[in-house]
Amino acid sequence: MTRWLIPALLLVLALVSTASLLAGTIWLGPDEIVAGLSDPAPNLTAMLVSEIRLPRLILAILIGAILGLSGAVLQGLLRNPLAEPGLLGVSGGAALGAVIAIYFGFSATFILASPIFALIGGFITAGAALMLSRGGGTLSLILAGSAVSSIAFSLVVLALNLAPNPYAAYEIMTWLMGSLADRSWDHVQLGAPFILIGGFLLLFTGRSLDGLALGEAQAESLGINVGRTRMLALFGTALGVGGATAVSGAIGFVGLVAPHVIRPLVGHRPGGTLVPAAIAGAVLVVTADIATRIIRIGPPINLGVFISVVGTPFFLWLVLHVRKQTA
Amino acid sequence: MKRSGLLVGLLAAALPVWVSSAARDQHSEAADKPMRIMSMNMCTDQLLLSLLPPERIASVTWLSRDRGSSLMADAAMKVGVNYGLAEDVIRQKPDLVIAGSFTTPATRGMLKRIGYPMIEVGYANNFDDIRAQTRQIAKAVGEPERGEALIADMDRKLAILAQDRAPALRVASWDRSGFSASAGTLQDEILRVAGARNVVNEPPASIYGKPDAEILLLTAPDLLVQGSPYAAEPSLGDMVEQHRVIRQYWKKGRMLTVPQAYYVCGTPQIADAALSLRDQMRRSAVAVRAPLPFAER
Amino acid sequence: MSALTLETVTLRRGPRRVLDDVSVTFAAGRLTAVIGPNGAGKSTMLTVAAGLLSPDSGTVRLGEDLLTALPKQQLAVRRAYLPQRAQVEWPISVERVVALGLLPQLPAFGGLPDAFRPAIDVALDACDLQELRDRKATTLSGGELARAMLARAIVGDPELLIVDEPTADLDPRHGIDAARRLRARADAGRTVIVAIHDLDLALRFADDIVAIRDGKLLAAGSVADVMTEPMLAELFDVRARIIRDADGAAIRFLE
Repeated sequence: MTRWLIPALLLVLALVSTASLLAGTIWLGPDEIVAGLSDPAPNLTAMLVSEIRLPRLILAILIGAILGLSGAVLQGLLRNPLAEPGLLGVSGGAALGAVIAIYFGFSATFILASPIFALIGGFITAGAALMLSRGGGTLSLILAGSAVSSIAFSLVVLALNLAPNPYAAYEIMTWLMGSLADRSWDHVQLGAPFILIGGFLLLFTGRSLDGLALGEAQAESLGINVGRTRMLALFGTALGVGGATAVSGAIGFVGLVAPHVIRPLVGHRPGGTLVPAAIAGAVLVVTADIATRIIRIGPPINLGVFISVVGTPFFLWLVLHVRKQTA
Repeated sequence: MKRSGLLVGLLAAALPVWVSSAARDQHSEAADKPMRIMSMNMCTDQLLLSLLPPERIASVTWLSRDRGSSLMADAAMKVGVNYGLAEDVIRQKPDLVIAGSFTTPATRGMLKRIGYPMIEVGYANNFDDIRAQTRQIAKAVGEPERGEALIADMDRKLAILAQDRAPALRVASWDRSGFSASAGTLQDEILRVAGARNVVNEPPASIYGKPDAEILLLTAPDLLVQGSPYAAEPSLGDMVEQHRVIRQYWKKGRMLTVPQAYYVCGTPQIADAALSLRDQMRRSAVAVRAPLPFAER
Repeated sequence: MSALTLETVTLRRGPRRVLDDVSVTFAAGRLTAVIGPNGAGKSTMLTVAAGLLSPDSGTVRLGEDLLTALPKQQLAVRRAYLPQRAQVEWPISVERVVALGLLPQLPAFGGLPDAFRPAIDVALDACDLQELRDRKATTLSGGELARAMLARAIVGDPELLIVDEPTADLDPRHGIDAARRLRARADAGRTVIVAIHDLDLALRFADDIVAIRDGKLLAAGSVADVMTEPMLAELFDVRARIIRDADGAAIRFLE
């Protein structure tokens, strides 16, 4: 069964990616795109696709993939289906780092400041949440993540209020709710290296996560270095989600939904969820991005808002489901 | 004969009343002219600072000291500062408070309740509003002639523009949140009187509720107008304002500047901005003879 | 096949000595039962014996090799450890649980190589799990889960097998089955160390006994030598009687 899962997911991703290039404020047909791209002279269609839609699509794929992957790794590490970078406060910490970098001038002097600050912020919050929840069960994990997340986000608001630029306060919503509007290749260049390196680190945890299904003691006895796995998960998440947050703001729930949907399809083997969850996460974010671009009721919806609207009921259902199982 | 006599008689009867009330007005004007005026709104600050010398101004808001959004920042430095709070009124004891419709409602409400001398001034969206508000404030502070002088200067410049517009180039105003200067804003008025064709008010841009970068490419305006002064204080909006496509196609030779201080508040100085814009457009007209490479015709 | 030797092992937790100068040898090809009252240090001794906890002083050797000198992967291949009340945290199939025992031998990426499948079948057979191989581990009963865990421990055929309380929560039938399977491993030449509360099973199935109390070794040797009424009375602070009849021996504790 698992043999066709990844190819099937890749096919779905290819389909929504194509839709992403066609859809938007100005709908394009596939023939127009081909004609435009093959024309050597600059033309509107080629510009739209290459300068606006393509970088946006690539960002959506990278961000969705790293969120899905990180969620899968954290759930495997903590043996808890409710773990994900958003809930653990990683996105909040990363947003705080990026806000400080951008609004207090560090990004102006050093272009990589925002993803680096974001990664440090994400690392601190993830570490804090993990430390606070050691030994406790699901409840302490959610509480720790909630506490850390709240602190991080209130610091984001504080930082934006203290920022010299008076428009900073108006840009809070973008940071807290995530957005891919008007992104360009600049953003891809900034975020992609961090996302790719983080993802690379996370992929190495697969085997260890399988062993952790038997608990930490047995995993250690099977030769798994649980401490090193934890560090890989932490660094990979901080790097990847840090890079993603630096270019798009905080996006949550993808890391919760994608692995959860995938897990039964791979026989609940935690190591098997990694790659499919990454692809599923990419599909989710690309689809949500298309939706925000074509839904034209009222003012434009932020990407993060849309995903939250879909993700929150899912999260509530999941909490009840987990409670029923453990009760 | 009889009718004209009646008329003269009536006029004669009315004359003493009329003269004495005029005399009384003049006398009361000289006595009632406010000497310590406090403005609690950045836009009313601007007008007040243009109309009066520093000695008669108790304070203006702290926002007027910011060069980025205030044309009268230097003048604002010479007078006191307030933060729009009732405590400031108590401390500074002005004899007239000028508030805007967006000044803290709690403060306005309280001043109204205790009957403190206060006038409320609305927000200016077009030249008529500017004239009306200048007159309103000038009258309240007892300097109607100064007000008329400022308005006359503005009208003179507008008349010059009406005779001698810039070439009708297609222009878009683009800032941190994308397109700006839609119809009904002061910024649009500046573009209009300078002679520019604001693409956001024409199809295809006008069809879309929230035109974005894709529409920018579709409309392919000859020139871009930007006005944000906060280059030294970075923000997330920079990524949109300095979008890659803008750096590539408009930054060199197709970029015009109208400092936003000219249109955040409606003051008679707005005409200077329109003149400057016209001159910039003239200088660019030669360079932009060719359309943008990806423009669709 | 190698013996496991602890030499003057001491482990402190705070001011307490959880293991106090313990020296003992667990022989190869024999089943050694570690017995003692609650809190005596049985679990800690097993954890140290497994190389998962380093003693503050003393050494642990598997054959000639110091456990601390062995690379983690190699040790994982040679030694299997089952903690008390071993659980599975995800609803994976029994077959997958058993396959996890082969983790130390697998490469970092990729699925299970086909070469390993026969070993899994052997382990499933040995623990009577063929019918349950596709069932989700979280839906198993106590006895079934214990069998699955044991299968996962023996699938890699380790030379050292350490199990902490294999019969806890098991009914008499399943308890005997578990003991029998451990016995079979010892008979195959492996070193089997078991911490156990059920002394009757220890009497019946173990070759050697290690008795520990308050972190100190009280007695170590063959069942016949060590399992005496005075030793049991001293170990558990309760009067004991060993009843022998045609069916075997049993221990009765008296007030």
